[in-house]
Amino acid sequence: MALPMVDHRIVPAANCQANSQLPEWMKHEELTGTTIMAVEFDGGVIIGADSRTTTGAYIANRVTDKLTKVHDRIYCCRSGSAADTQAVADIVSYQLEFYSVQTGEPPEVKVAANLFKEMCYDYRDQLSAGIIIGGWDKKHGGKVYSIPLGGMISHQPVAIGGSGSTYMYAYVDKTFKEGMTKEQCMEFVANGIALAMVRDGSSGGVIRLACITEEGVERKTILGNELPRFYEG
Amino acid sequence: MRRILSIMSYNGSAMVAMIGKDCVAIASDRRFGIQAQTVSMDCKKLFEMGPRLYLGLSGLATDVQTVANRLKFRLNLYTLRENREIKPKTFMSMVANLLYERRFGPYFTEPVIAGLDPKTYAPFICNLDLIGCPMFTEDFVVAGTCTEQLYGMCESLWVPNLEPDDLFETISQALLNAVDRDAVSGWGAVVHIIEKDKITTRTVKARMD
Repeated sequence: MALPMVDHRIVPAANCQANSQLPEWMKHEELTGTTIMAVEFDGGVIIGADSRTTTGAYIANRVTDKLTKVHDRIYCCRSGSAADTQAVADIVSYQLEFYSVQTGEPPEVKVAANLFKEMCYDYRDQLSAGIIIGGWDKKHGGKVYSIPLGGMISHQPVAIGGSGSTYMYAYVDKTFKEGMTKEQCMEFVANGIALAMVRDGSSGGVIRLACITEEGVERKTILGNELPRFYEG
Repeated sequence: MRRILSIMSYNGSAMVAMIGKDCVAIASDRRFGIQAQTVSMDCKKLFEMGPRLYLGLSGLATDVQTVANRLKFRLNLYTLRENREIKPKTFMSMVANLLYERRFGPYFTEPVIAGLDPKTYAPFICNLDLIGCPMFTEDFVVAGTCTEQLYGMCESLWVPNLEPDDLFETISQALLNAVDRDAVSGWGAVVHIIEKDKITTRTVKARMD
């Protein structure tokens, strides 16, 4: 005798039948669709991101700051669920502060990266977070680590992430070379993100850049009218 | 990243029409995209249906093209039979009829019509839903994926009896600022100002993100 099959789907409260009259923009999770990028140079790293946060197709925030400080010389670029990445970054920044008090010196970038990895891997089924960590430490200089969905960690001299990154792979492969100066890296990151912003609907707004070196963190914003422009067929 | 498929926002579009003093304006964005990806930025969504009659079609891109072609076919036959230009209100009924024929398997497109009466030059705008329910107003009509943003912009900016140049500014600002809050429309804008003796077409420089 076949048992009746009952399909109990777990849905968020906003999407259940009782809430069916809610407007569209209340039914979608807030995501940072995003384009993020980080590149090492001799003496530090340049990190960059777009500034768009979407709820479905509605742009909830068009001037978001996706470059989040987790320590004085360590930043992370966030992509995926806005809530998940903010929560993880808060926890890691607490853990790093505690660690730096215990050791008495600033943490290495790879320590920060591994703390992120621990969270992203252990809670991989509940989280939707793609993170790039970029920072400077005394022992290793500028370092970039990439932690995509699932929680794998890898060190790369240049890392790209987010939904807009697919439109940048060829540009990065063609343009990147070891030994670029700080200014060349800034231009490389700005151009890459600008290219992605044109093609990806989930990326846009302004380009936020940060240059992290021994001296400190220098932040820069490229506004809409100053964006690099390319062929617009 | 998985996305919930919604047919009306698969391609993304935004359009608006407004009434001014002895003129009408119709504007749309220029993006052709497939969900999040932008494929081209010169997509035609506003179609000239008569010397003073424009039709804008929002929604699924394939239905935009099909409906425009089928409507032009019917309109050509009408013009041959009647030997005169169609009135905008009659054209609205023609569009409504074409859409309602497909009541239970509709075209996924919501039209916007803007034009001047061929004899009296009275301004006329209207929009319809995807199964052909017409709605005409004396001020403005909107369609597309960012209608809520467009309604907000139009309610704030529109005033009656705008001259053609002022109407152009108003409709452009309404469209540009609305699409800047929508991830699937924008990437350029085109505006037609229809007056009794001329039509001015302008392509507006917009944010390309």
